Amino acid sequence: MIRFVAGRLAASVAVVFAVATASFLLLHAAPGGPFDTDQRRSPAVQRAMEDRYGLHAPLWRQYGRAMAQLARGDLGVSMKRDIPVSQLIAEHGPISALLGALALAAALGLGVALGAIAAWRRNTWVDAVVMTGALIGISIPAFVLGPLLIAALSLHLGWLPPARIAGARSLVLPAITLGAVYLGTIARLTRGGLLDVLDQDFVRTARAKGLTERRVIARHALRLGIAPVVTYLGPAVAALISGSFVVEKIFQIPGLGTYFITSVAERDYPVVTGVFVFYAALLAVCNLAVDLAYGALDPRLRDARERAR
Amino acid sequence: MTAGPAAGVSSPVVDRSLVAVAVLAVLAGCGPPDGDYFGRVAPPDRIDPAHFTWCSQGEPDHLDPTLAWSTASIQLVVMLFDGLTTYGPAGQPVPGLATDWEIAGDLRRFTFHLRRDARWSSGRPVTAYDVAHSAFRVAHPLTGSSNADWLAPIRGATAYLERRALVLRRVVGPYRAGEVVEATGEVPDVNARTGSRPLALRDLGAPAGAAYAVVPAGVAVTLMMTTGGRATLPSPDGAPWAYVFWPRDLEGVGGWVPAAELDGEPNGDAALQIRGEPDDRGPTDTGGADEPGRADRGATQPATGPEGAAGLRPVIRVSGRDVVHSTDAIAIAVPDPYTIVFETRDPTPYFVALTAGPGLRATPIEAWSRWPRHWDRPDRIVTSGPFHLAAWRERDRVELVRSPTYWDRGAVKLARFTSLSIDDQAAATHLYFTGGCDATAANTIPSSYLPAIDGEQRGGRAYKDYDVSPFLGVYFLWLQTEKLANRHLRRALSLAIDRAAIPGFTHGGEIPTAQLTPGAPIARLSGADLAACGVRRDAPGVALVMAPGELCYVPPPGLDHDLAAARREIALARAEGGVPDHPIEYRYNAGSEVHTQIAEYLQSAWAQIGVPVVLIAQEWNSLLDATARGEFEIARFGNVGTVIDTESEFLALLRCGSPFNRGRYCSPVFERLMTEAHGMVDRRARNAVLREAEAVVLDDAPLVPLYVLTQKHLIKPYVRDYAINLLDLPPLWRIWIDPGGAR
Repeated sequence: MIRFVAGRLAASVAVVFAVATASFLLLHAAPGGPFDTDQRRSPAVQRAMEDRYGLHAPLWRQYGRAMAQLARGDLGVSMKRDIPVSQLIAEHGPISALLGALALAAALGLGVALGAIAAWRRNTWVDAVVMTGALIGISIPAFVLGPLLIAALSLHLGWLPPARIAGARSLVLPAITLGAVYLGTIARLTRGGLLDVLDQDFVRTARAKGLTERRVIARHALRLGIAPVVTYLGPAVAALISGSFVVEKIFQIPGLGTYFITSVAERDYPVVTGVFVFYAALLAVCNLAVDLAYGALDPRLRDARERAR
Repeated sequence: MTAGPAAGVSSPVVDRSLVAVAVLAVLAGCGPPDGDYFGRVAPPDRIDPAHFTWCSQGEPDHLDPTLAWSTASIQLVVMLFDGLTTYGPAGQPVPGLATDWEIAGDLRRFTFHLRRDARWSSGRPVTAYDVAHSAFRVAHPLTGSSNADWLAPIRGATAYLERRALVLRRVVGPYRAGEVVEATGEVPDVNARTGSRPLALRDLGAPAGAAYAVVPAGVAVTLMMTTGGRATLPSPDGAPWAYVFWPRDLEGVGGWVPAAELDGEPNGDAALQIRGEPDDRGPTDTGGADEPGRADRGATQPATGPEGAAGLRPVIRVSGRDVVHSTDAIAIAVPDPYTIVFETRDPTPYFVALTAGPGLRATPIEAWSRWPRHWDRPDRIVTSGPFHLAAWRERDRVELVRSPTYWDRGAVKLARFTSLSIDDQAAATHLYFTGGCDATAANTIPSSYLPAIDGEQRGGRAYKDYDVSPFLGVYFLWLQTEKLANRHLRRALSLAIDRAAIPGFTHGGEIPTAQLTPGAPIARLSGADLAACGVRRDAPGVALVMAPGELCYVPPPGLDHDLAAARREIALARAEGGVPDHPIEYRYNAGSEVHTQIAEYLQSAWAQIGVPVVLIAQEWNSLLDATARGEFEIARFGNVGTVIDTESEFLALLRCGSPFNRGRYCSPVFERLMTEAHGMVDRRARNAVLREAEAVVLDDAPLVPLYVLTQKHLIKPYVRDYAINLLDLPPLWRIWIDPGGAR
């Protein structure tokens, strides 16, 4: 197990550097720079601003410096805000993580329950209603659902604030907006996974022992049936924790997701590399956790891993 | 310099039109709110008369005047830091740190007298040295200040920024000690210094034990200034002190040490070449080598050494220890702690207005020395303005409280000012609607909401808390004159556009104009301003009031809509073979509904004269890059002024060789007129020449103005003295709350 984890972590480091290289090169290949403007900024001032960040050095030297920094665990400093990227992630990451955790908890709890109910009542009106709702959740993009919720619950009814984080109430609308698509997906995956499992021998055995269908699903089938959900959770957790640009923009949440877009648009090279590296590392860790969870959920996988060693 | 009022609120990814459509779809069920006000108005007993909450344009990048560049930042900076002058209700400069000033007849020397009762929040008096030291920091290349252009008219400032201006430390060849010379070719860092013993960086005159940073022996620092200069503090003990910067990390640290401790000069033996006074060109004076105005520069005096610019001077070789990159190269002098003198390279009629800008606001050296990039945090900041920083939660809010040390604190009625950092237009409008803020900054309303707010959907009844005012900015099209070289073609393109139709679909109250210089519609001017402008109220177009009731610039009318004339011009262009045989490319930045609508409208307008156009939407940085390289035919653009002066802010765009001249236009006639105006001291006569120059440009049509930008605000009825001005720099510290009142 330790060798497996160590191997995966070593591979993750390589992935992180590959992501850093790709983001560095792609962004430098894009036209423009961090201090380009439509305002009347003289070439002398522009030069002084760019010199401060070594932007006139050859690209290979800038790359070498960025990678050396990364190897030391230093993500650099935002060229537009003069804030260390690590500080930016430390300050704004937890806000995204909190919102993501709320959305995920709701999506996971409700999604698995609804998916299980749909599987249990498969091909009935209950199944149809749940799956239709799930499809709607998946289909409505956040930039439509968010404003609709704001219009209904904030502007007209005045129940919830339309933007900013100011107390627990202000998290309700962004969490719903963020979690809807995950809820729908998890419900559908749970239902599908359960339906696959419900025809397997060990489930038939459980039924033959005289267990009720509810107990068969809850005690035996669900454990294996949510494997697709676990697979999905790896990237989903990484995406939710690292924040959503759209939801953060609509609700003015000072999370990390905004930087994925704005730093690219602003050509803020260290921030782009930093947040993408952070996301890559998070994704690698989440995927590793998923792999480990497989073993816990399905003894056959764990045994196969042991045999392979 | 500052970004326009719409900056910081656009989103290239989230198409806010979709956001708006979604919200309006729900609103449509109930219609726009009834009543006189768009936003909810709390009952008087629930309004705090001492607290104002503002939905600003987004997160400030810095609150340090030296580094702040966005509008959201500068609007707060001017509340935290006093300038020699500050912004009055109309955007005009009014006394701040300076009680009064004298302007030399040649408009090249400006003497400001500072008040004695101005204090930093630490209690220390604000002196002329604070202003000078801040200016030197802005002008230094290591600072990389985006506001260094505010200093460009000051003699020596640009050359100092480029490290070309050096001061001789001894007599060399024909040059005297103390004379300002120009470095040519490669310039080593002649200000690198080391100490054979550790350097204890501290406040001026403090003992070594009070050091807040210690530079190890032999580690290089950069000498920034020394005591006893033309505008630097005098020595506290008779011996010279040096202010050095140690770049130990990207932030670095600065501090004073006795100059004698800097006993090493790593580049002292490096060779470099120098000659007479530097060629000090600023952003508004960017002509090519044959520009007529350049011959005049030699007539100005150097910062030190009256013989410095007497014609051509020989190029000689010197060593690094013969010269110093000194603040004395910048023509700023502090004859006493409460007087500061600036000398400009050329007549600068708008110089007093520059002193209200962030580039010349005083900042406290003891704060920015310790944390050069981060002294603007609540626990570190030292302020001098009407408000002090109490809290700054990134991308959430900035909390200001009334400063107990501000000299005019009696005039500040608010105790608290909360600026919410909202970078999404819909979110700002929603917050205002639900009572989350008392007013919104300019242009924080989605364009698709405007028909509901401006009265279009309410039978013409606009809400009373909605205001549209002109802004010192113009929306125009650059025509690349090397690619669209035919003058008749360019004129036809301008004449074919019915600008009056544009506000009908943009809904922003834009002021259609074919004039380059923006201003207020003549029909809305006061009687005194009409008299100053010398026009009748029924005259079309806009006028730029430069000093209320005194001075006004009325731009020429330009090539406004005349379809018959457009057809005549296009026929002439075709006869001369000047119309491209391919559809002309029109580039604009993607992510904005308004730019797309305008592009499509222009496409249809030009189809009427048989000119096919293909629309190309580009990412903003890509558009900037393409237009800077001249790789376009037509591109939508805009220009925003930072002081009320057309020569420096608008017409200078079109000088030959100007880095801002994306259309690559160059007219000898225009150059002659601009050069003539540039040297004039009679402001009315100067305006007359500038008007001629603008007429030449508009006639040649290297750019096509479409409309004067506007600023849209939502302001609750109980908010008083929210003075909207052309510069979008309302003196927010004058706001007060009248809970029982309606506007």
